[in-house]
Amino acid sequence: MEHEEVEKEVARKSALIYLPISLGVALLFLLVATVFGNYPLVAKIGGTIWVGLLSLIVSMPVITARVKRQAQGK
Amino acid sequence: MATQFRIVSLPVQGMTCASCVSHVETALKELNGTSDVVVNLATNKASLAYDPARLTLTDMVRAVSDVGYSVPATELTLEVRGMTCASCVAHVEGALKELEGVISAVVNLGLNTARVTYISGVVTTSAMKRAVRDVGYEAQERSEGADALDRERQAREDEIKRQGRNLLIAGGVGVIVMIGTFYDMLGPLQAFVPQWLSYKWVIGLLTTPIVLGPGRQFFTNSWRGLTHGVTDMNLLYATGIGAAYGIAVINTVFPSAGFGGEGATFFESAALLTAFIILGRWLEALTRGRTSEAIRKLMKLQPKIARVIRNDKEEEIPADEVEIDDLILVRPGESIPVDGIVKEGYSAVDESMLTGESLPVEKKTGDNVIGGTLNKTGAFKFNATRVGKDTALAQIIKLVEDAQASKAPIQKLADWVAGHFILGVHMLAVAVFVFWFFIGFQLFFDPNSSFILSPYKLGEIGVFGFSLLLSVTVLVISCPCAVGLATPSAIMAGTGKAAEHGVLFKAAEAIENASKLQTIVFDKTGTLTKGEPSVTDVVISKQSAVISSTDHRSLTADHLLRYAAIAEKNSEHPLGEAIVRGAQARGLTLVDTESFNSIPGQGVEAKVERLNVLLGNRKLMHERSVDICELAQEAERLEGDGKTVMFVAVEGQAAGLIAVADTLKEYAAEAVHHLHRLGIETAMITGDNRRTAEAIARQVGIDRVLAEVLPQDKALEVKKLQALGKKVAMVGDGVNDAPALAQADVGMAIGSGTDVAKETGDVILIKDDIRDVVVALEVAKATMRKVKQNLFWAFVYNTLGIPLGAGLFYPFISLIISPELAGLMMAISSVSVTLNTLLLKGFKPSMRREDKPQQGKGQPAPQLATAHGD
Repeated sequence: MEHEEVEKEVARKSALIYLPISLGVALLFLLVATVFGNYPLVAKIGGTIWVGLLSLIVSMPVITARVKRQAQGK
Repeated sequence: MATQFRIVSLPVQGMTCASCVSHVETALKELNGTSDVVVNLATNKASLAYDPARLTLTDMVRAVSDVGYSVPATELTLEVRGMTCASCVAHVEGALKELEGVISAVVNLGLNTARVTYISGVVTTSAMKRAVRDVGYEAQERSEGADALDRERQAREDEIKRQGRNLLIAGGVGVIVMIGTFYDMLGPLQAFVPQWLSYKWVIGLLTTPIVLGPGRQFFTNSWRGLTHGVTDMNLLYATGIGAAYGIAVINTVFPSAGFGGEGATFFESAALLTAFIILGRWLEALTRGRTSEAIRKLMKLQPKIARVIRNDKEEEIPADEVEIDDLILVRPGESIPVDGIVKEGYSAVDESMLTGESLPVEKKTGDNVIGGTLNKTGAFKFNATRVGKDTALAQIIKLVEDAQASKAPIQKLADWVAGHFILGVHMLAVAVFVFWFFIGFQLFFDPNSSFILSPYKLGEIGVFGFSLLLSVTVLVISCPCAVGLATPSAIMAGTGKAAEHGVLFKAAEAIENASKLQTIVFDKTGTLTKGEPSVTDVVISKQSAVISSTDHRSLTADHLLRYAAIAEKNSEHPLGEAIVRGAQARGLTLVDTESFNSIPGQGVEAKVERLNVLLGNRKLMHERSVDICELAQEAERLEGDGKTVMFVAVEGQAAGLIAVADTLKEYAAEAVHHLHRLGIETAMITGDNRRTAEAIARQVGIDRVLAEVLPQDKALEVKKLQALGKKVAMVGDGVNDAPALAQADVGMAIGSGTDVAKETGDVILIKDDIRDVVVALEVAKATMRKVKQNLFWAFVYNTLGIPLGAGLFYPFISLIISPELAGLMMAISSVSVTLNTLLLKGFKPSMRREDKPQQGKGQPAPQLATAHGD
């Protein structure tokens, strides 16, 4: 039971870190695409989603593993 | 921040008194980060609180060991299902190692097992299983023997069936999707295909169940992993398939979105990509099982039924219910159920399945029989001596399993690379997307370009579609599953192949080390030689004729040997025993002496059939004024060959001499010759004097002699060779040479018989055949050759595939790889690695290829001669 609670806590804390990071990277992409190019809206939105998704995939396991290690005091 | 202390209770072994308690307590208290240390002698436990931020359980275990006690570790093997690649291995290992109480966890992808060493009481098996499940895999405790075989086979068959079913759906529907997509290009075949099949919505409807049905496994598995902080191959597949499907849906709903317009669908990409990935999984499941065929063959040898004689009645009972001392009847053609000693009867038994010995072995009363071997001709009864887990077969299976579950150093590197690969690939996919989106498309895009092996033109594709396609292709093509399979599959096949020939590698590391050996050191006695002196030469002198004339008897070599044997009959000296054995072997009758006197350090004198016989060394002959000048030259020659010479005088006249030596084992010279052919330097280590040692070494063809070495210094000699930068193997008796075997890079225990559990050393040679050293080396070299080939092809695939997938060559060739072709390449790479490994099945060591009866080779028979050439 304790184990599950720790896991939930780890998931919550990690989400609070990786979601803003991936969102930030996605918005940065959107900003650059908007400011520096004349891209169609679909490309800008699609690109933002794809970059955001990949950033999420990259940051999620890294952050979760780190938070878990901290929670376990290692 | 307040320190969060944890309470732990460690079992401690070896404590016998209060002072032990104090030692353990002090050792634990001295660690930085412990408090409330209480050691209880009655319960053999140490309870303490510790700060996990400052020390780990391993530190505590080490502290207890350092003061001479131990924290007993328990081993458990879990069957883990759902692992597909090296990163899965890293995740499962990581999840297990994170648990408090787990000392080590080694996952074998090929066997689908995790071997966990843990401190019982600190962590439970259910916690381990839960940890594995939490990172997205299934785990259960592994059962032993036949049950394990059945379950393993069942699991493999289930996986083959599951992926086969998925493949049938994904492949079958995928082909229909393909036909629909390329309807316009079918030409005259269009007449056989309904036009509605080419409608985008229909193709979309057909693709959806492929992605959500057979493809669902990749999404669910990768999500489970992600939520626990781990990434694996499933994530690559999921993002690849998901993106391809997403592109297709967007392009269907918004044709002007920049994915190729009305003319393109991309549903076939999602459908075929899923089908190819599943094809890879299915082929892998089919072939991976075959690399572990050797262990299954061994397990199949375990007989299920035993015919036990109880109360004078034959009873058929399950073999695992046989008890020690049970009397068991074995008929011709039946398998021997357990190990034992023949009580009555005679037969020939085929032991090839365990020892690699091709000829049936004769069994008579008093001989040992091994469970799992096949009785060929006669019927016999035997008493069970070892049953259940203690039988030779069970020990061999355990040893081979352990070796297969271990990791070669080269694999640890490959696993690390593959484990960190997935995240790297996703980062690369972002970089590829961003590059082609902002820079590459504007600079290099050619509307006439197309996919490799596809009629599709990329003309109407937009910047987002083009960049996304390349990004997705990178994800799919980068899958490092071939890297993950390269080493374990070859190690499994190699250890199995070695076991077939009676060579047991205890760990994968031993295979890798054996493949790099430069020098092999043989212990002399019992390894190169039989370790038991025997008569090699009997030489009679010219004076024997004088003796014959005085006694009216003709003195032959046999007479001389017989007189000597009678004189030595009561001797307990090894040389005397050798002479007695030599005479008995020639069928000479040995009567009692009329008188007998032992002269310590010199020999014996006795009265034999009214003749005064004197047997001993030069000193004895000189003291008794026996003239041995005539025999001196011959004696020196024999001594030069490493033999011990004893002179025989009859009635005060030198009658001849008898040479005794430790004889070479069969095939010793042949094995050394083969080792030289492999470029290996050979050395012999012995406590004998240099002259004797060099004589033996000359006969065998040994390059380097380490003579006059005390038993305790053998390890030091091995160390000296290692200091010269050589990779050294030591071949010797597993019990007596244990320190030297442990010091060597590879310790080979020879002639252990089938009681393999007792042996030290990294490699166990079941038979007493020194040629198996060559077999071990050849199998190790062949295995590592396969490992290197596999790793080479796996890395070549990724090294070439990733730049191709990322569009590095696009500016020059105007071609890109479609995601489905990337999926096919990925499947081919992992299957080709496994198929390459399967080629090891046909490997036969050179000594087995040349196996034919070689009677007498390397076995010097006693030479009968006279000094004057008789």
